[in-house]
Amino acid sequence: MAAIEKRKKEKVTEMKVKITLKEVKRQKALLIWSAFIVLYGVIFCYLPLGGWLMAFQDYRPKDGLLHSQFVGLAKFQQLFSDATFIRVIRNTLAMGVLNLVTTFVMAILFAILLNDVKSQGGKKVVQTISYLPHFLSWIIVTGILHDALSGTGIVNELLLKFGILDQPLNFFAHPKFFWPIVAFANVWKETGWNAIIYLSAITSIDPSLYEAANIDGAGRWQRIRYITLPGIRPTIMILLLMNVGNVLNAGFEIQYLLGNGLVQSVAQTIDIYVLKWGISQNDFAIGTAAGIFKSFVSIVLVVIANEIAKRTGDERLF
Amino acid sequence: MKRKCLISLMLLAAVSMAACGKAEKETDTGAESSDGGVKEFTAFFAVPGSEINDDNEIQQKIAEITGAKCKETWLTGQTAEEAVGTLIAGGEYPDMIDGGDGMAQLYDAGALVALDDYIDQYPNIKEFFTEEEWDKIRQEDGHIYWIPQFSNIYGEEKATTHNDEAFWIQTRVLEWADYPDIQTMDEYFDLIERYNEANPTMEDGTANIPYTILCDDWRYFCLENAPQFLDGYPNDGSVIVDPIELKIIDYNTTPTAKKYFGKLNEEFKKGIVDPESFTQTYDEYIAKLSTGRVLGMIDQWWDFAYSVNDALKQQGLGEQGCNYVPLPITIERGIKNQWHNSGSVLNVATGLAITTSCDDVEGALQFVNDLLSQEVLDLRSWGVKGVDYEVDEDGKYYRTQEMRAQAADTAYKASHMCGYSYFPGYTGTSRDGINAMSPQFQPEEFYDGLPDDVKACFDAYGAETYVDMLGTSEAPGPWYPMYSFSSSMTTSTPGGLAWTKMGEIKHEYLPKVVMASDFEAAWDEYMSVYEKCNPQDFLEEMQAELDRRMEEAKKYQ
Amino acid sequence: MEKLHKRKKTSVGDTIFVICNTLFMILFVLITLYPILNTVAISLNDGTDALRGGIYLWPRKFTWKNYLTVLQKDNLLTGAYISVARTVVGTLLALIANAILAFIVSRKRFLFKKQLSLFWVITMYVNGGMIPTFLLYKNLGMTNSFWVYVIPGMFSAFNMLVIRTYMNGLPESLEESAQLDGAGYTTIFWKITSPLCKPVYATVALFVAVGQWNSWFDAMLYNRMSQHLTTLQYELMKLLSSVTNQGNSAEAMKNAAGAVTPTSVRAAATVLTMLPIICLYPFLQRYFVAGLTIGGVKE
Repeated sequence: MAAIEKRKKEKVTEMKVKITLKEVKRQKALLIWSAFIVLYGVIFCYLPLGGWLMAFQDYRPKDGLLHSQFVGLAKFQQLFSDATFIRVIRNTLAMGVLNLVTTFVMAILFAILLNDVKSQGGKKVVQTISYLPHFLSWIIVTGILHDALSGTGIVNELLLKFGILDQPLNFFAHPKFFWPIVAFANVWKETGWNAIIYLSAITSIDPSLYEAANIDGAGRWQRIRYITLPGIRPTIMILLLMNVGNVLNAGFEIQYLLGNGLVQSVAQTIDIYVLKWGISQNDFAIGTAAGIFKSFVSIVLVVIANEIAKRTGDERLF
Repeated sequence: MKRKCLISLMLLAAVSMAACGKAEKETDTGAESSDGGVKEFTAFFAVPGSEINDDNEIQQKIAEITGAKCKETWLTGQTAEEAVGTLIAGGEYPDMIDGGDGMAQLYDAGALVALDDYIDQYPNIKEFFTEEEWDKIRQEDGHIYWIPQFSNIYGEEKATTHNDEAFWIQTRVLEWADYPDIQTMDEYFDLIERYNEANPTMEDGTANIPYTILCDDWRYFCLENAPQFLDGYPNDGSVIVDPIELKIIDYNTTPTAKKYFGKLNEEFKKGIVDPESFTQTYDEYIAKLSTGRVLGMIDQWWDFAYSVNDALKQQGLGEQGCNYVPLPITIERGIKNQWHNSGSVLNVATGLAITTSCDDVEGALQFVNDLLSQEVLDLRSWGVKGVDYEVDEDGKYYRTQEMRAQAADTAYKASHMCGYSYFPGYTGTSRDGINAMSPQFQPEEFYDGLPDDVKACFDAYGAETYVDMLGTSEAPGPWYPMYSFSSSMTTSTPGGLAWTKMGEIKHEYLPKVVMASDFEAAWDEYMSVYEKCNPQDFLEEMQAELDRRMEEAKKYQ
Repeated sequence: MEKLHKRKKTSVGDTIFVICNTLFMILFVLITLYPILNTVAISLNDGTDALRGGIYLWPRKFTWKNYLTVLQKDNLLTGAYISVARTVVGTLLALIANAILAFIVSRKRFLFKKQLSLFWVITMYVNGGMIPTFLLYKNLGMTNSFWVYVIPGMFSAFNMLVIRTYMNGLPESLEESAQLDGAGYTTIFWKITSPLCKPVYATVALFVAVGQWNSWFDAMLYNRMSQHLTTLQYELMKLLSSVTNQGNSAEAMKNAAGAVTPTSVRAAATVLTMLPIICLYPFLQRYFVAGLTIGGVKE
């Protein structure tokens, strides 16, 4: 276990380097490269943000960004005074968090368990199959899901057979089932794909740690708990931090494809709202305003999460 | 390692150079004369559609006749508004365009060429509409910018299929009851109930689904708009127009609406209405109809028939009487139904326009003009003589079974057929006075293609076509159709805002109303929520538009 | 090692674990494999017949027609060529770009480590929208060109962070000793860090390649008018949207109606686009599995 302790210690060491001429000279290569990279970033990622102006305008394509009439915060007021939008934020957050937690836990669990499969052939086969659903479009996945959960589908059949239900349940007619179904669909489609990163992270774990653990007589659970999990912890943390910022991007397609009138009060996400009330009404400004709102929330969440990570001494985004 | 690096770098260089070299040969978007002096135009249609191959045979033939061809592109993965929005931002357009739902944006952005001054020089275009109709498509500034392409009838109307909405029922139900006279909603559901009690399953033991309702996204019209028809009004889409008083009536709140949804609620409780109605997707709905299990439903013909009829035929379910025929249903007897109207429907909201990016407006209009000559019209909708259709000694066009099959083949359509379907075209009778403009309206073609159970049903009712099952009504007044206005509304006006909200509320509450255990309470709740959307704002704007249209129409009386 | 292992008694807990794990994997494979097999079955089934539903693992009415429909699409070869080109070029560019960026921000001594990271992290959450982006590319002269496929997505915060995390996990002693030998950052990057990062490079290459291979929206938005720059996925999307009954009018439906159905053609197109990725994967998997053999318990 000594090796593990050592690893923990060397993990996070803050280094403060002062800007001195000597240091700049030493890092010349790094600085020149960064300059190019920042230039690229400004052009391709930050310049288009000029489009945010749209949110403060009564944007008309004819007049473009420069000549449309400014309306101040009217579009934001319009958004937040609409009770539907508030409900839509709730839905998006709820599905975002639920998806985040379930897909995260499943991918890590799967990666760790797969790593512990003894047969190399079996491992390869399972991994290859696991990531394939990633390539199916949502329309195919939701189609299958609809089949499986329909009145005569396999799920109802099983529930009836085991006596859990006495008559078929129409899952899509009840708002309470909608979020779990969306979460399940995400897990189903993406677990194998998301696990790829963890599998590659596991390769960076020093094999001698496992050997040492074996000599110490550690069981499987202990090896997972004390070696594998800490070994991929930085990766887990980084992905978690990134995805915390994405909870408002809970999706569009899947909710759109699975939703219906009866569950629309829990199924509409911000993106669907924007399409319905913005784009399909020729109101690009509403979409932009909602986008700015999402960006704002994301960045706040990420900064908070990053700060927490700093306190706990974990890998951070910045 | 080094060698690998080198190889990949070389590969990178090779591929990028190849790609780059190709990129330099940019295609010009303007009209240009390629070899053989054929002008090439580009067109974008903001609706989904099938692209045809570059070496398409009929396109080539049309190019030989007209000296021009057009490369058509269609909407993919965007909404029409988004696609049009990017075009406007970029300021570059294809030569010709139909912006679909984004048409008003294009006009607003000044992207379109006013056509008024040109029209007189092109006889086929000129002839396409009457003066009154041309005036209807003038925009606020008094100019004409686009030409609506569809539902224009030349000569005598050839109505065969009822392409629109109706209560449909399987022929086996009618046959079992000895082809009764069904005219009201109560009679319709009573018949379905009795049939289903006597024959709860199909021949192979699959349980029937007596009545299903499609409610998926925008297709929920199958649930919501029946009250206008039940009261004997035509499909104005969003409202009823009282033809005498010229007043707008909201069909969502009429006593008929309440009766209709009350009836659905009653049938739902009896198990006649499919419990999955409100959660099924369009695909699932089509799958249900394709198994022949569904006895009846409301839908538009084009929404189900093209795929379902083929599926039923393939399984031989026509012999069991699983094909659908429409019934002339109203809320009570004695009301003249208007499920089917004769005459053209001029949808002024969209059409084919020429953009400011087009260098050769005359050439483009000449092309549109030539596409309306009979020779080219025949090529567009019938195909090539001797290949896609034959002509008998009386000059009648007909197709063999193989020709029909080949005309439905996707690959054949892409390589051979060229409908130029979003360019102006006609239905009705050909200029030869003998044939229909297109095969599906040719009576013999139509009758030959009918399944036996439908033929038997038609015979029993003394009908020859689907339209005869319903009877035809005269074209409604000059305001018709009001949906061409409501579909162009946006949330920037109070009426448009109300209209969008009403849609949301109906989508959520109508299923609840139908499934409610206490109908009266559910209906009251629905009505109170509905009132909160301020439907009055919407109705007022519709009334104003109706008045405007009637005022316009007066000029021609 | 071997002897040592045999001497140790396998505990009961261990056996239970192996059994449970195997069961879990089998269950997992079954539920993930199902949608794939279902898609394959539908792609080999007659389209109209498939409308009836009820096809699970085996086609009911076998036909190649769906595949023929897809393969007969015009411009498919051009699209395939461009798709391969953008996947190769795009993956190489993105890999090099993100590796360099990750290398820079993972240097402990780098002066602007935090600022540069933040600069990229923000880009993950902000987005100017479709129209401003379109205008930018147009003004840069990137519309109607191949470069719009590979340049805009070259750097990505996500890929950078994935590589950076891996690099942070590498022992610092390597860099230090190389610096003592007089190696500059460029040498360290190419000679020391990169060879050690193969597993994570493979991961990122896979992500980028899949993204490049699957993307079509850029082809439609920026290169609609340049047919010689069309991509495979865009051609397939056009085919799908033309057979999809999404047009809400009689005209659109007539325009779309045909002998094949959206569901079956979509299935065939999905299987066809999945194939190259399935073939590519074993080559990349080598890196993971090599790692796994070192990392995992040796038998």
